[in-house]
Amino acid sequence: MTLKIFGSSLSTCTRRVAVVCKEKNIPYELVSIDLAKGEHKAPSFTQNQPFGQVPYIDDDGFILYESRAIARYLAKKYAGQGTQELIPSEAKAEALFEQAASTETSNFDPFASGIVFEKVFKIRRGLQTNEARVAELATSLNSKLEAYEVILSKQKYLAGDNVTLADLFHLPYGSMLRPAGHGELLEKHPNVARWWNDITNRPSWLAVKDGA
Amino acid sequence: MVLKLYGLSISTKTRSVAQVCKELNVPYELVVVDIRNGEQKLPKHTQNQPFGQVPYIDDDGFVLYESRAIARYLAKKYAGQGTPGLIPINDPKAEAQFECAASIEAFNFDPFAYGVAWEKVFKLRRGLQTDEARMAEMLATLNTKLDAYEVILAKQTYLAGDNVTLADFFHLPLGTMLEGPGFELDIFSKRPNVSRWWKAISTRPSWLAVKDGA
Repeated sequence: MTLKIFGSSLSTCTRRVAVVCKEKNIPYELVSIDLAKGEHKAPSFTQNQPFGQVPYIDDDGFILYESRAIARYLAKKYAGQGTQELIPSEAKAEALFEQAASTETSNFDPFASGIVFEKVFKIRRGLQTNEARVAELATSLNSKLEAYEVILSKQKYLAGDNVTLADLFHLPYGSMLRPAGHGELLEKHPNVARWWNDITNRPSWLAVKDGA
Repeated sequence: MVLKLYGLSISTKTRSVAQVCKELNVPYELVVVDIRNGEQKLPKHTQNQPFGQVPYIDDDGFVLYESRAIARYLAKKYAGQGTPGLIPINDPKAEAQFECAASIEAFNFDPFAYGVAWEKVFKLRRGLQTDEARMAEMLATLNTKLDAYEVILAKQTYLAGDNVTLADFFHLPLGTMLEGPGFELDIFSKRPNVSRWWKAISTRPSWLAVKDGA
């Protein structure tokens, strides 16, 4: 049975799963959840995803949520096909991957998603941007990316010289920084810019960036 | 060579790593980083931890940072000792459910728990003022998230299933702060299943050994 992704075509987290499916040549069927109508808060959804968030997958009856958990599960299940070693198998390389994955979680996502929330999602919901908060988040994200600049001056990708899930996890919110008015953050540091240009031009991302 | 843990005894993330070391019976030596005097921003530190944060480890020359990455590395390296199954590696579906639980902690607990602690404690220590509106916002979201925890923990003992994993442990430092003196938030105690789970993990000897200092 084809993998089912329950989500929304333009949702950041749904596209995070979709890009990994493309990297690993995993076919999927997107089952559209109507976020505007609050379908993700209905019991038919929350029985599978108790936080009422997209996406979740149904892999032949196995339900799983949290986009990064789904990505990891698929990368391991389909380790033999598509792009190799998206999670490295050697112990120290794997630890460095976990370091990079955790870096995305604590030192990128809170700031990038915060900026996108204030400048894009709130506007869509008819709410007002808190510009002071955006400025604060942009300053923090910039200082984090200065550390990325150091890391990426020594190696091609965040976990080493091969691309891993840790790099891919940055794509959805990173690519929304420009529409949020802060694209310069990823462009102003040479090594970060090089890395960003590389991962955003991967065929897997080009295939889903405008819709899972 | 004994594992070296570079950090601060009371730091939440340093204690997180220390607790996992205790679960695995892995001895460690705490090398104190003088945060008060900005030692974590000096080149000697940032050459190992480019974000200028604590903790990081030096495992016989192998340097690693990010507490969750360190915990995972140690749980895999020492899988044969201490508490087993802290990352379920032999069953792909159990492992996936662990990853789901670990992601829940990172994205549905930590940002909001930290947000509350930042406003109520960390800002004051830095001579800044609590933003009451923001704190209320963070707390309201945290409560909504814990309502989902209550549903999950009605069906299973721990966050990833019926066995304890690293995903449960990662909640300990901030969770302990929020239910401690000066907070009176009752975030765990007012929910029966969450309360049962919290009691089980927060009374483990590994946490009792380090909760007041790594």
